[in-house]
Amino acid sequence: MNQRKENKIPDLLSKARWILPVLLWVALILFSKDYLMKVEERSYFEFDLFWLSEYLCKPSGVLSLFGLFLTQFLHIPWVGALIWVLLLTASAELTRIVFRIPAHLSVLAYLPASIFVAYNLSMGYIVYVMNLPGYFFLPVLGCLWALLTIKVFRKSRKPVISLLLALFWGFAGYYIAGFYALAGIAAACIDIILSDHSRICRIMTLTGAVAVIILAPILFVGTTTYNISNGWTIGMPEQIYELSQSRMQIPLIPAFLLLIIAPFSKHLSRISGTRVLSLIQGVSLAAAIAIPSIFWFRDDNFKAELGMIRSADNLEWDKAISILEQVQSRHEDDPAWEPTRVMVVLKDLALIKTGREGQRIFDFEDGDKEQKRSWNLPMSFQIGRILHLNYGIPGLCNRWLIEETVFFGSNYQTYKYHAMNAILLNDTQFALKYLDKLEHTLFYRKWAREQRKLCIDRSLVAKTAPYDMILPLMCYDDQVCSDFQGCEFFLLEHFNGPRPDNATPLYDRVALFFAMKNKQSTLFWTRFFLYLDSNNPKKIDRYYQEAAYLFSQNNKELMEAIPYDDQVKTLYNSFVQNAAKTGKMNHEEARQNFAVNLRHTYFYYYYYVNELVMF
Amino acid sequence: MRRITIPALVLMVAACTPKAPSSYDTTGSIPGIFPDYTDVTIPRNIAPLNFMIEDGADSYITVLKSESAEVTIKGDEVRIPKSKWNRLTDAPLITVQVYGRKDGRWSAYAPFSMTVSDEIDPYISYRIIPVAVESYEKLTLRQRDITSFKEKVFVSNTMIQDNAHGTCINCHHYQNGDTDNMMFHVRQYKGGTILVLDGKMHKVNMKTDSTISAGVYPSWHPTHDYIALSNNWTHQSVHAASHDKLEVIDENNDIILYSTRDNTVSVIENDSSELECYPGWSADGRTLYYVSAHYEAPFGPDRENQIFLDRKQLHFNLYSKSFNPETRVWGKKQLIYDAVARDSSMTWPRTCPDGRWMVCCVSTHGIFPLDQIASDFVIYDLKDNSYRYADEINSPFAESYHCWSSNGKWLMFSTRREDGLHTRLYFSHIDENGHFSKPFALPQRDPDFNREYLYAFNIPEFMKKPIRIPARQFASFISSTDPIPSKYESKKGE
Repeated sequence: MNQRKENKIPDLLSKARWILPVLLWVALILFSKDYLMKVEERSYFEFDLFWLSEYLCKPSGVLSLFGLFLTQFLHIPWVGALIWVLLLTASAELTRIVFRIPAHLSVLAYLPASIFVAYNLSMGYIVYVMNLPGYFFLPVLGCLWALLTIKVFRKSRKPVISLLLALFWGFAGYYIAGFYALAGIAAACIDIILSDHSRICRIMTLTGAVAVIILAPILFVGTTTYNISNGWTIGMPEQIYELSQSRMQIPLIPAFLLLIIAPFSKHLSRISGTRVLSLIQGVSLAAAIAIPSIFWFRDDNFKAELGMIRSADNLEWDKAISILEQVQSRHEDDPAWEPTRVMVVLKDLALIKTGREGQRIFDFEDGDKEQKRSWNLPMSFQIGRILHLNYGIPGLCNRWLIEETVFFGSNYQTYKYHAMNAILLNDTQFALKYLDKLEHTLFYRKWAREQRKLCIDRSLVAKTAPYDMILPLMCYDDQVCSDFQGCEFFLLEHFNGPRPDNATPLYDRVALFFAMKNKQSTLFWTRFFLYLDSNNPKKIDRYYQEAAYLFSQNNKELMEAIPYDDQVKTLYNSFVQNAAKTGKMNHEEARQNFAVNLRHTYFYYYYYVNELVMF
Repeated sequence: MRRITIPALVLMVAACTPKAPSSYDTTGSIPGIFPDYTDVTIPRNIAPLNFMIEDGADSYITVLKSESAEVTIKGDEVRIPKSKWNRLTDAPLITVQVYGRKDGRWSAYAPFSMTVSDEIDPYISYRIIPVAVESYEKLTLRQRDITSFKEKVFVSNTMIQDNAHGTCINCHHYQNGDTDNMMFHVRQYKGGTILVLDGKMHKVNMKTDSTISAGVYPSWHPTHDYIALSNNWTHQSVHAASHDKLEVIDENNDIILYSTRDNTVSVIENDSSELECYPGWSADGRTLYYVSAHYEAPFGPDRENQIFLDRKQLHFNLYSKSFNPETRVWGKKQLIYDAVARDSSMTWPRTCPDGRWMVCCVSTHGIFPLDQIASDFVIYDLKDNSYRYADEINSPFAESYHCWSSNGKWLMFSTRREDGLHTRLYFSHIDENGHFSKPFALPQRDPDFNREYLYAFNIPEFMKKPIRIPARQFASFISSTDPIPSKYESKKGE
């Protein structure tokens, strides 16, 4: 009775472990929905034997396929997250069972799983460049395989069977799970050595395991084009773009080290005393929560980018604008907050798509806030496809899709954009190639079937979004081009270049927008009158008026020719009056002064939004 | 027991073997199949021509029949067992009869045929490359036994490069298809030209102080120890909105002669106002064909931009130059095809081993037919230097690199005809009048392969025998060996 009372706190803490998966699932849905969807978008799984066979011929390909299969369910974040959380829970509980961790210390078993959570949620911008197929589910699946290995190895007590089992399970396991199988064998081997198996049985298991650990990578990797040295880490993240390989492997290695030292856990049952047990359980619980919380990548701009990119991919332009509005309003009182260039250019595109760029462009903060990462990520790899496709440069869109695929592997979005590009250029067979593939997927087949209709009936293309607003921008003669200096810079140059002979009203509108952003009065006026001529607007949008008013200050004819709103004139006068007050201030002080009341004007943009780093 | 079992098994097998329907309607049209193997001429030693039937029926039965065998296959995927295929190709003609069942009724399509003809070299090699612009993270040179479906990587850049340094591999080439004398280039990390001479590996650096680059596009002399190569300063740029995706331009080109015997380089052509490229030997090795465009923009930082702007004015003429392999003395260049006058551009002269025919690519402008939808083949009759467009093998898409089989009966070429972007390999037979048969795609075990596969086949070359050096041995040699610098030698004669 006393003993039961003494164990009450550790037992309570033990039961509290069931809160962990629930907490994680809720947190994922609340805070990381967009991130989970990004993981899914940058992955690919199709039900096709040809495609599957490419994975089945590589060591750890089977595990990757499982990972890819499960990743697709992140398309519906709560479902994908639930699967992941259940697998994590299963791995933790299996750890507890396999290593016979006493109930009153059960939270200890959740530590490897919490490292996997931290690993997946700490990636941040790495999600754009991660090139390991199925990586999101691999650690937990690998852990389950490793635990299963320990279980299976324990079953045999006959020396010959132990040897054969170690060899058979080891080699087969390596083919299925790569590194994870080797980690499992190492853990199983330690477990058997510490067990009460006969000495000969232990020697046989050890011999088999060592043979597998040494030979499997050489034999299997020898049949591939990998470097032999990669054989021991196959299934772990390899070279990832400009990041070092080890950086992504760091979190996984301690998790598997835990598995390897876990066979010593039988000594845990000797630990007694309520205080000690409570302390261990409490610290374990805190660590299981703290590890993911500390490493969870939190950045408002990153999150907003994810949401805006997804909205743009789904042609939900209003939603993209609204995401920026929300993040901007959240940081209203934070003078240090700025949007990233990705947010700015996506907002510009969304406003153009909704026809509100002239009314709303300067309602939003401009900026070039550095993204929260320490390595180079060209904008083209993040949103090059979106910008180039939607601004009518399918050649460059195609280029980045291919580069992306070479660097980071196939994904649903690259296939979608390949198909859209090909539809734009009337490359029907090319479009069908990618639509065929997407029709073999679970969540993109509907989209692919819709697009197939456009391949059959070309007349629908010009009436269907997004093509209806892209084809009018492709009114220029083909040219060879390069966006090595950055896709934003390229677009500025493209639209500020010579006007095509058969420019469309939409082209003139977009060209006016870029001319306004470029701040060159001559170019602005050329574009402005072409815009008026081709678009014949009933009313000139506010910010175009502001730009025109600013540029017509020394030209009375222009000043009188355009019907400016009183609000535009009033704002300009305020700006001039303020300029008189801030005459003695330095540039930064003056900027801050103007920002208080006039930051949402073209005048402020013209004078104080400068030297933004485009990329 | 045995007496009962064997007949039972025979009966079971017979019951499982599909049979052509006994009653059916006739449609009068041939079925839609992929790849299109209808009415093609094929080598007798080619792998089975597996295909998909795509004609909207619910089920199909296909009967392939020749004088020597008959095979019946059920289903829309016609995969022909190799042993049965070999028996079929023992006869000069295979007829293929397809039956389709729709709404419970069988129909017989019009039969088509496959004419069995001369043998082909049993091996080919090619580079497998993503259709990329800049990236070369995953490149492999592979050899394929085309009498079966066996394919093997013989060089992979993933075995050479490391996290910080990328390696490009390209331009594999053989002397008369003999893999004991072969070469390929390794660029960037661990770079150099790998030569296999009489089966032994060497690594050389063909860049000298007197030449503009290392060797690029090669042509191995048919009888002597020379390789003619181009030197290139290559740039590429993307088309903003065109069926042509990429524009590849050489800022400068010359042609050099490399001696494999003494590791020397000498210049064949290096006129600074000419862009000379794509050397190709005649069958007897006494004439070198090459292409050249006149271009005079000054050398300097603006030349690259200027040449892109002038790209449509780059018309490559075809020239020849006599050569004495014994003395290494060159004759004067002679114009064969005046591309400027025809507002076109000729590239890749490749002569048939019997010396009668030469096939080149002709496009509107420029030097890189692979990325030009307008690129087509022309065939020269070298008896009288007359030429014609080989329309029987051309398609609306880009035709590019081509190679003759060692018996001169087959042309293998890369083409983008299937989807406009992914280059695939096709073969065509040539008759004594220089007429090509309908081309057919390299057979694959999975008939849908060409549609599913997202990599391109690049630089196909015939080989008489397989490459015997394993990929890891090549990789280890490349990684551990420094290139031996080639010596420069002055040109002789003219």
